[in-house]
Amino acid sequence: MASISIPIPLRERAKSGLLGWLATVDHKKIGVMYMVMSFFFFIAAGVMALLIRLQLAAPNLQVVDPNTYNQLFTMHGSVMIFLFTIPMLVGGFGNYFVPLMIGARDVAFPRLNAFSFWITLGAGLVMLLGFLFGARSDAAWTAYVPYSTKSFSPTVGMDIWLIGVILLGIGSTLGAVNFLVTVYSMRAPGMTAWRIPMFVWAMATTAGMVLLATPVLTAALIMLVADRNFNTQFFTTNRVQLWQHMFWFYSHPAVYIMILPAMGIISEIIPVFSRKPLFGLRAVVISTVLIGLLGFTTWVHHMFVSGVDPAIERFFMFTTMVIAVPTGVKVFNWLATLWGGSLNLKTPLLMCIGFLGTFVIGGISGVMQASIPIDQYVHNSYFVVAHFHYVLFGGSVFGIFAALYYWGPKITGRMFDEKLGKLHFWLMLIGFNITFFPMHFLGLQGMPRRIATYDPGRGWEAGNLIATIGAFILAFSVLVFIINVIKLRRGAPAGDDPWEGNTLEWSVASPPPEYNFLEIPTVESDRPLFDARMRTPHV
Amino acid sequence: MVPPVTRDAELISDLYNVVLVFAVIIFVLVEGLLIYSVIRFRRRSADEMPEQIHGSRAFELAWTIIPAILIAVIFGLSVDTLGRMTARGTLSNPVAHVHAINDVAARQRVERAQPVDLVIEVIGRQWVWQYKYPGGDGVTTSEELVVPANKNIRLDMTAADVIHAWWMPELGPMIYVNPGEMSYVWFNVPPGDYIGQCNVYCGVAHARMISRVKALPQAEYDEWYAKQAATSSAATRPGDPEIGKNIFLNGSCIACHYIEGTKAQGRVAPRELTRFAGYPTIAQLDGFENNAENLAKWLRDPQAIKPGTAMPNLNLKAQEIEDLVAYLLTLK
Repeated sequence: MASISIPIPLRERAKSGLLGWLATVDHKKIGVMYMVMSFFFFIAAGVMALLIRLQLAAPNLQVVDPNTYNQLFTMHGSVMIFLFTIPMLVGGFGNYFVPLMIGARDVAFPRLNAFSFWITLGAGLVMLLGFLFGARSDAAWTAYVPYSTKSFSPTVGMDIWLIGVILLGIGSTLGAVNFLVTVYSMRAPGMTAWRIPMFVWAMATTAGMVLLATPVLTAALIMLVADRNFNTQFFTTNRVQLWQHMFWFYSHPAVYIMILPAMGIISEIIPVFSRKPLFGLRAVVISTVLIGLLGFTTWVHHMFVSGVDPAIERFFMFTTMVIAVPTGVKVFNWLATLWGGSLNLKTPLLMCIGFLGTFVIGGISGVMQASIPIDQYVHNSYFVVAHFHYVLFGGSVFGIFAALYYWGPKITGRMFDEKLGKLHFWLMLIGFNITFFPMHFLGLQGMPRRIATYDPGRGWEAGNLIATIGAFILAFSVLVFIINVIKLRRGAPAGDDPWEGNTLEWSVASPPPEYNFLEIPTVESDRPLFDARMRTPHV
Repeated sequence: MVPPVTRDAELISDLYNVVLVFAVIIFVLVEGLLIYSVIRFRRRSADEMPEQIHGSRAFELAWTIIPAILIAVIFGLSVDTLGRMTARGTLSNPVAHVHAINDVAARQRVERAQPVDLVIEVIGRQWVWQYKYPGGDGVTTSEELVVPANKNIRLDMTAADVIHAWWMPELGPMIYVNPGEMSYVWFNVPPGDYIGQCNVYCGVAHARMISRVKALPQAEYDEWYAKQAATSSAATRPGDPEIGKNIFLNGSCIACHYIEGTKAQGRVAPRELTRFAGYPTIAQLDGFENNAENLAKWLRDPQAIKPGTAMPNLNLKAQEIEDLVAYLLTLK
């Protein structure tokens, strides 16, 4: 690996201590703040999930009253999506690792980057504090009109929720611009398209999707705020589907915004821990971009029973099913990467295997629901709840923990306790499946989502009780992770490259110094560090 | 799935079962390869270096083309099922949707789509389904939709407030019932009791918005209908608190009302009903004294007594009102 010297830009040296964090424009510190913030929101929304599961553990329970229950599932969904999964993957890992992986000293617009973080945190606090002090929305994260209009949701909680999501949209749109410019213009010399790491490809695609999709949601939200407060008539009766179109035009791509970075993460980890190159690198890149594009053509599948014209529905059934092809290509390429490899079964790889094993179930049930007749049965049922948790927990959250175990040593300079890591993995895998697999059957047995309770005798008792038990196993697994993070202080030193990594972040110290690279490296392949290791004899 | 009782539900169930076979094959293949790889290829020595394979055009084409074919098959089967569900004259075209209530042309298309024996108007409102029978007898129900068995039924549905969804898993596809729009559902069912519930989140008592269909043989249906027509105007016996309690606790009342120690845990109504008989007035309305006569008036049409109250007109029968009054006045 050759390198060239570019002087470190003249910028005020970073301050230390609290002010160093508050005033920082360093992509790594901003990345860490995103991660800490997101993890906090993950815990908050997880506690809400536990309350939801407690309430449903048996028929006609009253752990919380129905009103509170409805507020809880509204907030659980909103926080998990907008304040945990997206900021953790995009703001957290994207910020920290995109510049490092492309050999850059920071993102293109460091101050804009800091602004994105603070507006995201501000929006999160608006939503969560509003919730804690009683200004709560109960319109579900989908906020369908007319339920979310002034007539049916008269309280200020709805406005607080809307304003929170508008602010978050601004934060992520600005972040997307930053990532696109960074990846386009700041790659190290020699990093041609096919040498860009998969995680960076995924992040660039994600940023493109955020940039195209988020403004539509923001517009819809502003229109609803105006309807509620200034008597505009955007979403009056007879136009109930307008909201659904605008909402899902963002919120279906949002699923890919949450899964593509996680796919990028496991595309990095699997080759490293198999000691093999990613099988069919170009096919994985192309399928990533294709998923990003096709992701914009499927939103009406959320509306198959809303009253859309049947011919249009068939078109969207087709596009929705087609997206399974590039997704399948990725899954088989990951399996082929593992095949014949030398698998180092440490926690990061285990989490990737958890991703593959559970995500595929969500992928399959996704194709099933894409079929209009099947959707006319399972739509809005617990089958759907099972499906999207297999995609977003089985996929995104396993991917997030894979990244935390993989990159944690780089960020902190310390190694995680491997035994606790494995315990975390197994508890999470088992707890996850016990929680969400029975929900498929509940949905098929006719249980709708978003119900605060149910009568006995519908065949839903056993499945719900099992799911609740699973949820607590899942919660316990997260506790094990937290203990592992606390123990990190006394962890073994990580060194520059504990995993024999492939990409540039492993060429610098752990944690990386300010401005990352003393000399900007020159890249000659898609695995610069692997090649460098091969050239130098083993010590 | 819940065992289907209509042809449309059966078509959906058959399609589901076929697609499930594909799903299980893919599932077993992927999980099998994954588990095999993890066991077979685990690292055995620290310095082993596997062969560096960058890809294989043949394999990659295979796992692009084969899934594409599978997808094409599933798409074809789905379109075929949809076609059979919308075939004319088979009591199909099981759901339809018209965006404007006054769209006459669309209405005529719906009328022509299938020959029907009975059309019932359905209004979904927070948090109850109301069923209005044709004919001048003024028969309306809200707890249960009673229909003649083995007859072609059409429901003409709309929503009075927010979006609701009609979902009877045994009876066929679900459909949203939107305010300001019309949704149509056709079905033909053997005798029996069927249950479902609103499937779009519609507010605090969404979970209590249950739909029940009772299909009776024609003779029993006629008998039931005649009785309804007679009792819709006058009660035939004095109110029975036990029957009233039954109506209250198994119906939509509990969506909003709270009575300590019962299933009624709704918190929409401002006052709980635990000691209702002790209240001096009904609906906190000055001068509207709490007695049997006024209570019956209130239950018949709350909006007429207190315009704007959250309590809807539940289209209760005269006899049901008598029974409910008897029950409510026992709450001390």
